[in-house]
Formats: sequence, structure tokens, C-alpha cells
Amino acid sequence: MILLQSPSRFLLQILQDRVLSGDKGVDIDCHTVEFDDVRYHIQFSLRNPKVMVLSVALPLPPPEAVLYDGLPLGAIEAIKAAYGLVVQILDPPKDGFDLTMKINLTKLPPDEEQRNAVLTQIASVREVVLGAPLKLLLKHLASRTVAPNVDKLVALVHRPNESFFVAPQADKVTVVYPMRFQDSIDIVLATSFLQEFVEARRTAALNNAPSCMWSPAPPLELKGVPSDALNANAGFVTFVVFPRHVEGKKLDKTVWSLLTFHAYVSYHVKCSEGFMHTRMRRRVESLIQALDRAKSDAEKLKKLVHGGSFKRLSLKNGSNSRH
Amino acid sequence: MDAAARPAVVIDNGTGYSKLGFSGNSEPCFTIPTVVAVNESFLDQSEMCSSANWIAQYNAGVMADLDFFIGDEALSQFKSSGLYSLKHPIHHGQVDDWDTMERFWQQCIFNYLRCNPEEHYFLLTDSPVSTPESRECTGEIMFETFNVPGLYISVQSVLSLSAGYAFLKSISDEDSVSASDMTGVVVDIGDGAPHVVPVVNGYVIGSSIKSFPFSGSDITQFVLQLLQERGELIPPEDSLDIARKVKEMHCYTSSDIVKEFKKHDKKPDKYVKQWSAIKPKTGVPYTIDIGYERFLGPEIFFNPEIYSADFSTPLPELIDSCVQSAPIDTRRALYKNIVLSGGSTMFKDFHKRLQNDIKKIVDERVAATNARHHVEVKPVEVNVVAHPIQSYAVWFGGSVAASNPEFYESCHTKEEYEEHGASICRTSTVFKGMH
Repeated sequence: MILLQSPSRFLLQILQDRVLSGDKGVDIDCHTVEFDDVRYHIQFSLRNPKVMVLSVALPLPPPEAVLYDGLPLGAIEAIKAAYGLVVQILDPPKDGFDLTMKINLTKLPPDEEQRNAVLTQIASVREVVLGAPLKLLLKHLASRTVAPNVDKLVALVHRPNESFFVAPQADKVTVVYPMRFQDSIDIVLATSFLQEFVEARRTAALNNAPSCMWSPAPPLELKGVPSDALNANAGFVTFVVFPRHVEGKKLDKTVWSLLTFHAYVSYHVKCSEGFMHTRMRRRVESLIQALDRAKSDAEKLKKLVHGGSFKRLSLKNGSNSRH
Repeated sequence: MDAAARPAVVIDNGTGYSKLGFSGNSEPCFTIPTVVAVNESFLDQSEMCSSANWIAQYNAGVMADLDFFIGDEALSQFKSSGLYSLKHPIHHGQVDDWDTMERFWQQCIFNYLRCNPEEHYFLLTDSPVSTPESRECTGEIMFETFNVPGLYISVQSVLSLSAGYAFLKSISDEDSVSASDMTGVVVDIGDGAPHVVPVVNGYVIGSSIKSFPFSGSDITQFVLQLLQERGELIPPEDSLDIARKVKEMHCYTSSDIVKEFKKHDKKPDKYVKQWSAIKPKTGVPYTIDIGYERFLGPEIFFNPEIYSADFSTPLPELIDSCVQSAPIDTRRALYKNIVLSGGSTMFKDFHKRLQNDIKKIVDERVAATNARHHVEVKPVEVNVVAHPIQSYAVWFGGSVAASNPEFYESCHTKEEYEEHGASICRTSTVFKGMH
């Protein structure tokens, strides 16, 4: 998996299983947590087999991002537009959550493909809710206008207590991310990853991608932003999005990719660490093989009898020594 | 919100299936086969670690190290395209291949659970006979690659016990289930090596652990063997899969095989089941009959000699010898609480047959004592506990354990790891006798 997927795998699985089970099955009451502190609570009771209740909690917003009633700008309209009559928003939301929706299973389209599309859309509720303000700005970009009543620089919720900045203009939208990581190794790997990212953009095949820049200091677009929103230990990444990136079907994908940029970088940093471990293990294996070859045969016989101090739990030999 | 305020991630990695989820839930979010499909078409099989291979890998695609799938997707990718080969990182309950295991965990965390590992405490499970080195490797991977804030590696048997205890407590009205129910014998039969583990007051008696060589996959193999010996036509590419489904749907435990044979012969239409499917290659539908396999499959546990000549101790005898090797003052409590866990204990009436057989052995011994010493020893109560969550009892026990506020204090933390290194994960508090 290279890109993080938009629908929550667990929610989609539960929804699909429920639709297939009809009137049978068991009660469901599950809490899950996704990256960046998004919590879901899905409930189903056999007493009311046609209804499921899904509650979503959003990450703690940073002080510079503005929420309306606990939800980002335009979230309620976006939900109504995406789900129609299948979903009904319950007000007030359940205790500890920011949004509660009642999903009416009878209102799903009968055709299997359309139904799966609706269920996938419901499982992508995070993209719909958190991405609503960004989608609004980018939709205006597609029509080459600027949304009315919008400041020159907008701060949107990215992670708990962190935001990313969007500067919308008529012909392009500039998105700036201050990148922060907790672990010192992660910071180093992320910095190299982001610098490589910028280099990779320069290859000929990616000419149509949004242009990308990295700088260790806050770029000029962020003039005037309070300094505690600007402390980034892995630099600042800037993307410039043009109208051709948000035409038609590309809009949703662009919104999701921009919304979860930090999670994407963090995932790839962890994959790189895993890959380095693989290489380290293979290196150790080859060194052990070299050491084993250096011993004389009599020594090897003695070692086998006593259990072998060089025979560390290596990948291929481990199973032989145990059985 | 810091990591201790969020639910912990509970991952139970078994030989056949892995159960993943968050603590506080009553069932796992995902139950996926523990298998990884990797694309090694660019690797030259004859050489292992030459620099030429790394160049080939780079040229094959910069993202080649991410070209793999886990779980059900791995199995379907393996069937549909010839590029992928399947790897099982866990054999007989223990991790063999750490690279594959690391990749498996990576996908579990980022693709399935979709959580940020830096924000949650983790509870992983381990076989009761695993080595301290494997726990060290696990800790190393978790702390170095995934930067988890805290890790607890628990023994599967203790979790099964607490699952049984929690379940009984939730269905009983009075407080009849006492705290000493952390004493019992756990019979854990999954896809890997089944173990009989005695636990006293939460402390595993390591020297009394007995293992049984035949697991769920052996029963599948045996069912397949019987079907093929009788001449049933099963397409070879699906054979293990079909045998496994037949085992899960139609097998049951009988109380006496001679009587079962007679029952089957007398009323074939009541006992013989049909299995119909479609051949994958030709699309032609076919049916096979399922007869004696229905009760002969699980019979391996009670008469192992029908499957293999190497091992002939039936499971009830093994459990009995395990309890007899435990300290004498714990034996009554152990007999009273024999807990089943693992998918292969879900055969119909398995617990009844096990209870009857063990009771027979125990009663014989009591009668012999009475006859020899002319006393009346109190009869020993034998109780085999079965509950509907047996197949994921270990995961459920983990979920219950991680919901306990004391859990966060008993984890190994990242700070401890950075201070002392991976060796902190070698010991498990359960084996030290502290609980």
C-alpha cells in the first residue's frame, strides 16, 4: 500500500457485513481510533435492525483554526450532499463525540454496486467532514474564482493541536504544512524524505503534479501567523495546486491526499525504518556466515555439541535448531 | 490526549490467524490469516545477499519493498497472479521470519487498524514456550520501527483464563465466580502447536507445560486424507481449503466411535452430508459426500494413533499428566477449571467428551487410592469450561486486561527501552510469579 485509503476499512467491513446479514446477526458496539485522534463509535442493535448509529470524534483543534459548533466549516452541508436521505444527523451528538449520524439501511440503493459505493462513501465520513472547508476552497479553484468571505490565509485542522495553512487565489491555491515529528530518528528520516520528495518532483514524468517546495524556515506566505503555530522540526512543505488538479473526479482524491499529508509521510518513514531493519538483518546473516566459514571443522563439531554461541536466532537457521 | 487515555491496541498473532483490535471492545476488529504475499520475481533465488540484488530491486521499482499484501488479500493475490509467493511468518506458535513479521505488523497497523502507533500502548501475545530472544526481537521492532509508547507481551494462556473468568462473570448474577479463578489449566488448540498450560494464581508453571503435536491444520489434513482415500473427487488446487471448510461446518465430537460407526451405517441419510461447489478451473459443479470424516477428524485428539503412529497419548491423558505434575496443593483447583481456547476446540460436544474422559481417569485413580488405603477420599470435581468466544478467547482476554487502568503501569515503556535496551522485554512478569 503506497497511499493511505480514504474509507475506514473497519467501518466498511461492518457496514457490508450488516447489509448482508439482514435480520440475523449480533448486536454491535465498537469503538475504534484512527490516526490523528479521530474516534469512531458504531452501534447496532437487533431491536432496530434497519438502523445503525455512527458517532465521530474529531481531533482537538489548534487555536488558529476555527470550528463552527465543533465541526469544520461546511461539514453539515457536505454530509447532506454526500449521503442524501440515507443518513440523518442527530443533534446533539453523543457524549464525547462531535457528530452522530443515524444510518437508515432501508434507504440504500438496491443495486449492489451502487450500494457498495454509498457504503464506501459512509466509511469515508472522515474525508467528508474534515475535508469540507478544503473541498470548498478547491471547488472554487476549479471554477477559477475565490470563495467569498474567505481570508487570505486560512488555517485548517490537520492533527490534534496542529494546523496546515491554505492561501487561496483565483488561479492557484498554495498549501503550506509545518512538519513536526516526535522521535529524533523520525525527524531526520522525514527531513531527508521530504527533500527527496522535492527532488523527485523534478523528474520529467511528474511535470503535471502540483509543484512542491521544502524549506527549513517558514515561507513568506506564512507572514503574520503566531509563532507557536510555526515551530516545525522537519521544515515546511509547500504545494501549489492548480485548477487542473481539482477537475471532476480528481477533487476528492486531492482533498484526501492534502488532508492526510502528515500521516502519509509518517507511514513512509516507518516503512523505511522497517526496510532498513531488513537490510540490517541480512547484513548480520552474511557476517555470521562469514564467521562460520572461518572456523575449522573440529571447532564446528564442538560448537554443535554445546549449542553454538554464534548460532543466533537467524532467519533461516532458527527453525532447524528448534525442531 | 496522551497515549494512556486512548484504548490500547491488542494484537494476537497466531500461527493460522491474527486477531487485531482495540481494547474495550468485545470482539476483534479484524481476524485475518497470518500470511504475507511478497513479490520476489526480481530476486535471483540462488544468491542471497549480493549487491547486484539491491540494484535489481531498485530497478524493479522504487516501491518494491512495499509491494506485498497480507491476510485474505494475500491469498487472493497469490491465487490470481503468479508474481506473489506466500510466506507464513509464524510456525508452531513462534515467529520464524522477522522480516515478514515486521511487514505484517506494519500493514496491520497502517492499513487495517489505521492507527498511529506512536499514540497507543500495545498488547501483543506470545506462546508460553517462546524464547526470551523472540520477545526481545518483538520489543525491538515495536520500539524502534513503530515508536510505540508502551508494550506488554503477555502469555496467551493467561489471557485465555482471564477471558473465561470475565465471560463467566458477565453471565452469572451473583458473585459465585471467585478471584481464585485465575487458577486453571488452559487447553489452547489453534492452528499451531497446541499446549496444555497450568496456571496458578496468574503464574504459569513452566515445567508442567505439555504439548500435543496435532493441531487444527493436522485435522484438516486428516479429513482430506480420508476423503481422498475413499475416492471423492476433489479438485487438487482447492483441496486443503475445502477440507478446512468441511471440518469447520460438519465435524463434531462423538462420545464413542464404535457407536458412531453403527449410527452412520444404520441411517446414512441422517448422518452423511453433502458438499457441493464449483471446480475453479473448469466451472463444473460437483458434490462430495462427507461421512465418517465428520467424527473421525476430531477423534485425533482422543485416539492419536488413527492419524500417526508416532504419538499415542490421548489429550485427556495429557491434561491429566499435566495436572499431576503440578504442585499437589493446586491439583483440585486445576481440575475444577479446565479452560478451552482456540478455534479447534469449537467442535460440537468437544468439552463434554473431554470432561467425561478426564473424569474417568480421575475417578479410577480415586477408586484405587480408596481401595489401597481404605479411606474415602473426597471425589475430585472435573470441570471443562466452554464458552462461545473460544476462538478468539486470547484476544478477548487481552482486551479485558488492557482495559484495566493498571495495565498502563505494567507495560514496558519507550523510556525504559531507550535506557536499558531490548532486554527489558525478555522477562514476563507472569513467569516471575508477580501479579
